[in-house]
Amino acid sequence: MTDSRPAEPIGPKTDPAAAIAARAHLTEMLLKTGDEDRQAFRELYQLTSAKLFGITFRICGERQAAEDVLHDVYLTIWKRAGAYEPSRASPITWLATIARNRAIDWRRAQTIRRSSPIEDAPPIADSAPLVSDTMVADQDAQLLHGCLDTLERRQQDAIRTAFFDGTTYADLAIAQNVPLGTMKSWVRRGLLKLKECLES
Amino acid sequence: MSDDTLLPGMDGPDPDVAAAELALGLLEGEERALALRRVLAEPGFAHSVEIWRTYLARLFDLWPEMTPSGGVLARIEQTIDAPAVPVDVPVQRRALLWPGIAAVASLLAASLLLVVMLRPISVPTAQPPPKPTAVVAPVPILVAAIDPDKSGVPVAAVYDPASGGLRLTEAALADANQSAELWIIGADATPHSLGLLRTKGGTVLTVNAANRAQIAAGATLAISLEAVGGSPTGLPQGPVVAKGMLSQV
Repeated sequence: MTDSRPAEPIGPKTDPAAAIAARAHLTEMLLKTGDEDRQAFRELYQLTSAKLFGITFRICGERQAAEDVLHDVYLTIWKRAGAYEPSRASPITWLATIARNRAIDWRRAQTIRRSSPIEDAPPIADSAPLVSDTMVADQDAQLLHGCLDTLERRQQDAIRTAFFDGTTYADLAIAQNVPLGTMKSWVRRGLLKLKECLES
Repeated sequence: MSDDTLLPGMDGPDPDVAAAELALGLLEGEERALALRRVLAEPGFAHSVEIWRTYLARLFDLWPEMTPSGGVLARIEQTIDAPAVPVDVPVQRRALLWPGIAAVASLLAASLLLVVMLRPISVPTAQPPPKPTAVVAPVPILVAAIDPDKSGVPVAAVYDPASGGLRLTEAALADANQSAELWIIGADATPHSLGLLRTKGGTVLTVNAANRAQIAAGATLAISLEAVGGSPTGLPQGPVVAKGMLSQV
């Protein structure tokens, strides 16, 4: 297997129809992987490994660990793809959730607490992407970004940091140099407000 | 929650905020243990966690891509093709194999959560669910993801040392001519039977006093396939088809 770039990687799509077609194709590859179709698994890897490696690298903070975790992530995908239900989650959400949780597992198992963001990971976009830039161009994504924008800056920052860096309340409190209870109440108020906005 | 007493006027955590906190990964230690227990015990709470996970998944769109090294896929395929742990080990040698299995079968809390989230939850609700405001248990609960050797969905197990109760999600491992038997391999490196798993739906077991002594972080839960009714000898006779290490959350 060569390391050629995938012909049609999962990434920004300028055409919503192309995004829908890409999602359908990815779903098919994931379902075939569930039937132990090795060729489909390889294609799934080519289509998604850059996304999933971006996730494990940011949370693990070092390339070697991130690649080891990525290895485990795809083994998990190989073994569990048969349990994937297209009606419950989009394929990329299912895959990305596995990558994020595995990377958080690794991070929680480390004895050294890292409270500052790693320096050499690509930055996360600060604002909501344009509709045409989302992998799945749907209204739900716009709703979430719109609701996050209604929160206080420090609440937004804490929620985004927890998501993208895999940090706990304790990590956030240390990074912001505030008492743990203060951080918890900021974030809880933010989450309540977010919930209200999302459900309205 | 003692931290909240620092802030007069702030009420205790809203139950649904706890679901968001768990989905986001903010919790650790006892708070995480309590929330994970609620996921298994309260279908409504589990549903809330899943809704939050779905909301937050929209943020994956923003995550920048990075290309991994070229050799990763080849390594993954090598691991997939590597022979699994042999299951036809003679009975007298099998006991010696257990510590080795325990050493490699570690899965931590986030993966357990993943098991619970990525599959329909089917745990019997014979016992009333704990109240959301319950005081955090002084003894940490233990969890394991009992991972099948072949492809398949792991069985999530949660053990509450306070009650001796062990809850497991559905295990689709045995056919109609077999019984799936659960074993604990603890400090004495000898398998002790904890009972048979139900063929449909989750299982709730109460661990007896002798076996409770074996249950600790680092001990292994294993499932073997036995003749219907379970192993007659008190030791596994059939192949071990899944195992996982207990860890604190």
